[in-house]
Amino acid sequence: MDVRLFSDRSIWTMIHGIVLGGGALMALFAALFYLWAMRPSNASNVAGSTQVRSFAALTVFIAVVLWLAVIIGTYVNFPPYRATPPEGAPDLSRYPRALLQSSPGTAWLHSFAMEIKEHVPWIAAMLATPVAFVAVRYPSKLLSDAPVRRMAATLLVICFVLVAVSTLLGTFINKVAPLD
Amino acid sequence: MTSIEGSSQVVENGAVLASFLAAGIGAFAMGLIVILNEAGLFTAPALYGPAGGVSGRTTFAVVIWLIAWAVLHNRWKGRQVDAGRVYTVTLILIALGLLLTFPPVWRLL
Repeated sequence: MDVRLFSDRSIWTMIHGIVLGGGALMALFAALFYLWAMRPSNASNVAGSTQVRSFAALTVFIAVVLWLAVIIGTYVNFPPYRATPPEGAPDLSRYPRALLQSSPGTAWLHSFAMEIKEHVPWIAAMLATPVAFVAVRYPSKLLSDAPVRRMAATLLVICFVLVAVSTLLGTFINKVAPLD
Repeated sequence: MTSIEGSSQVVENGAVLASFLAAGIGAFAMGLIVILNEAGLFTAPALYGPAGGVSGRTTFAVVIWLIAWAVLHNRWKGRQVDAGRVYTVTLILIALGLLLTFPPVWRLL
C-alpha cells in the first residue's frame, strides 16, 4: 500500500505557514536588529556598503516571502479550506471551515481567526514592500534621515506583529482542522 | 539594474515618504473594502471562484495601493515633504485599516 507522509494539501499548508510565515518572522526580526545595529549613534559608526546591501537584500527577501505567503494562502490553501461539504456528510475532516463551524467551541476559529487571516497578512505585505523599496533605492536616506529610519522601523515592527498574530491563529486553525 | 544613490548625494525625501504613505492608504483601503462588504454596501466580485470574495477584496486593495503609490511618487519625487505629518497620517491609516478588518468591529454594524 502506498502511504504518503504528507498530502499535497498538507505540504502547501507547511510551505505557507512554516516556510513562508516562519521565514518572514525570522527575517523581520533580523531586519529590525540590523536597523538598530546600523543606527548612526556617532560619527564614527557608519554602516559599510556591504552592511547596507545586506540589509536591502533582507528587506527584499521579507517582501517577496510575504507576497508569496499571501498569494499561496489565498489561492492555494484557502479554496480547499472553504470547500462546502455534500449535504449530510458524516465526516467533515476534509472540509475544515465546515468542521470548525460545526462546534460552538471551535466556531471562533473561523469567524475570528480565519477572518483576520484572510485580510491582515495582505496589509503586512503592503507595509513591508516600501521598506524594501527604500532600502534598495534610497539606502543613505534610510541610514541618515532619522524620521525615515523611525518610519521604516515602525512599519517593520507592525509587520512583525501582524505576521506573528496571523501565524499563531493559523497554527490554532491547523491544530483543530488541518488541511490533510 | 537598480542603482543605489551614493551616501554623499543629497536626496529629497518625497519618494520615500510617498511609498510609506501609499502603504497606509493600501491598509486603509483593505479595511474599508472589508467593512463595506460586511455592511452589504459594496461586494467585491470573486476574481477566483474557489477562493471566493477574498480574492476580489484583496486585489482591489492592492490595486488602490499601487495607484496611490504611483500618484504620490509622481507628485512628491524630488521634493522635500513634512515627514512628521506623513508619519502621523500613515500610522492613523494603518490603525484604521486594521480596525476595520477586525471581526468584532463588523458585529457593531
